Amino acid sequence: MASVELRQVRKAYGLLDVIHGISLSIEDGQFIALVGPSGCGKSTLLRMIAGLEEITGGDVIIDNAVVNELTPRERNIAMVFQSYALYPHMTVAENMGFNLRLSGTPKPVIAERVAEAARMLDLVPLLDRKPAQLSGGQRQRVAMGRAIVRNPAVFLFDEPLSNLDAKLRVQMRSEIKQLHQKVGTTSIYVTHDQIEAMTLADRIVVLNHGKVEQEGTPMELYRKPANLFVAAFIGSPAMNILDGTVDGDGGEAAARLSDGTAIRIAPDRKVRRGQSVKVGLRPEHLSPGAGGTMLAGQTLLVEPTGAQTHIVFDLAGNPVVAIVDGEYPARYGARFEANIPAEQVHVFDRETGVAL
Amino acid sequence: MTEISTAQPIDAASAPTSGRRLRAGTQVYMYVSLIIVAAIVVVPLISTALGGFKTLGELRGNPFGLPTEWQWSNYTDIIVSKRYWLQMSNSLIIALLTVFLTLTFGAMAAFCFAHIRFFGTDYLVNYFLIGLMFPAATAILPLYIRIRDLGLIDTYWGVVLPQVAFGMGMSIMLFRNYFRNLPSELFDAAFVDGCGYMRFFWHITLPLSRPIIATVGIISFVGSWNSYIVPLIMLNSESRYPWPLGIMIYRGEFSTEWQLVLAFITLTILPTIIAFFLAQKHIIAGLTAGAVKS
Repeated sequence: MASVELRQVRKAYGLLDVIHGISLSIEDGQFIALVGPSGCGKSTLLRMIAGLEEITGGDVIIDNAVVNELTPRERNIAMVFQSYALYPHMTVAENMGFNLRLSGTPKPVIAERVAEAARMLDLVPLLDRKPAQLSGGQRQRVAMGRAIVRNPAVFLFDEPLSNLDAKLRVQMRSEIKQLHQKVGTTSIYVTHDQIEAMTLADRIVVLNHGKVEQEGTPMELYRKPANLFVAAFIGSPAMNILDGTVDGDGGEAAARLSDGTAIRIAPDRKVRRGQSVKVGLRPEHLSPGAGGTMLAGQTLLVEPTGAQTHIVFDLAGNPVVAIVDGEYPARYGARFEANIPAEQVHVFDRETGVAL
Repeated sequence: MTEISTAQPIDAASAPTSGRRLRAGTQVYMYVSLIIVAAIVVVPLISTALGGFKTLGELRGNPFGLPTEWQWSNYTDIIVSKRYWLQMSNSLIIALLTVFLTLTFGAMAAFCFAHIRFFGTDYLVNYFLIGLMFPAATAILPLYIRIRDLGLIDTYWGVVLPQVAFGMGMSIMLFRNYFRNLPSELFDAAFVDGCGYMRFFWHITLPLSRPIIATVGIISFVGSWNSYIVPLIMLNSESRYPWPLGIMIYRGEFSTEWQLVLAFITLTILPTIIAFFLAQKHIIAGLTAGAVKS
């Protein structure tokens, strides 16, 4: 196990900068998720940590040593790829033991380590099979087995669940979580799926256009998004964003929407009268009959999911999503009313997108 | 009214029928074309094999039909002759050396061109590919001079090296395309596992490249097996002649005995036909590799 530190890491392809000086500190044994939309640089950053991509500037430090010039093998990292990247001509056991074979580990030791990893990942009956004879989930487990068998300092996961179907993805997610709890190795996990990031990671780093937008625990990011990008990215369904203007001061401050609706803002928000803002309302915080500002509008869409129902209603000309109990008698076209407490109302500067 | 009511059903019904008729027509056309092409390839082969069983007189009078009396001695005389086996072994030695060197150097060069970027990569690739445009016959004089200067006239190497050199363009082109289509994640995974370029080439690339190895191997084997002009120029001793030069001698000695020439040709092309059928599956996979997303 080891800590990982990035110091002003930069990456440029010719004149095009894709990673703009990222600094990050990952403690020993931590599970960190790099999230962001496609093209934000998260996979490039991971590959730079792995040593598969040269860095243009800055330092990558693993276990207190600068590893910029070291090969992936010398960095003692293991990586799980989105496409599994298993060697098709080797059996499961050969795939898992390949890195040990390359390092000259004696055959009995390889067999023992492979057997141990196979037991841990429930792969024992599959050891003699070739990758083509395995299901997607089994292949991904073999890819993880290949990573843990060498006992690396750092695990790197590059969107490992993206190729799996929804059900299997949930199952493999919990297996990855259990695996991390068992082995406790420092892990860096790249995903564009914020649910994966929220459920797996101790800390999340949100990336956009090669820059860190915010870093923190999943609940910090959820409760206190630093800006509009993070607010819209974290949470499912996404936060409702509405244009408004601040009316009133201090404890009396409210955001007035285009139709005149006033939404009370918590007194600790640093807003000033007349300021143009974006108001963020999480769908799960809009509850019928609760305290706070009441918002109402015509129901545009009803989406039952079982335990909960998603209701899309019209608010000041914007479609706004609310999550209500599955038993709620929602009806298309009917008037829908929901309340939101002032503390749950997020406010962002309309120009800069920064949380106020 | 009657016209409309009769016209509509005919239109509706005729659409799928005409489609089927069209497909059936296309199939007939396809099969007829294939039969013609197959006949162009197979008839000379069968005629050659059957001609070897005839007497010279029958061959002249009935070149394409079945022999009235099968002359097995035409074949057995050749098979028991020392010269046939000597020429066969010469051909095999030259062909196997050519295949081995073409595969070894072609695969290694193509691997570098596929995976390593260095100054002038594209120019170097194109330089090799230009070789595809020139058959050995066009450079036979400078080739002879170079081989003579190397002291390789009348040796197997004097034939093998030019054949390898002229096969390199094709070999590099096929190997490079195949290697570039292997998933890049495999390279990343192998690199993380501790492979360098050599280990990745040896442990991962080569085992996954059997189809293209078979393809390049067969193409260079057949090319060497049928090569006439290079051995003719480079070899002087009859004891080193491969079989294409052997035919020349038969023709010289038995200029009127065409049935023996045909029997000899049949016996010498047999190994390449067997090799082709054995590797057929791999060859097709190799030539079509990367054509579609797998």
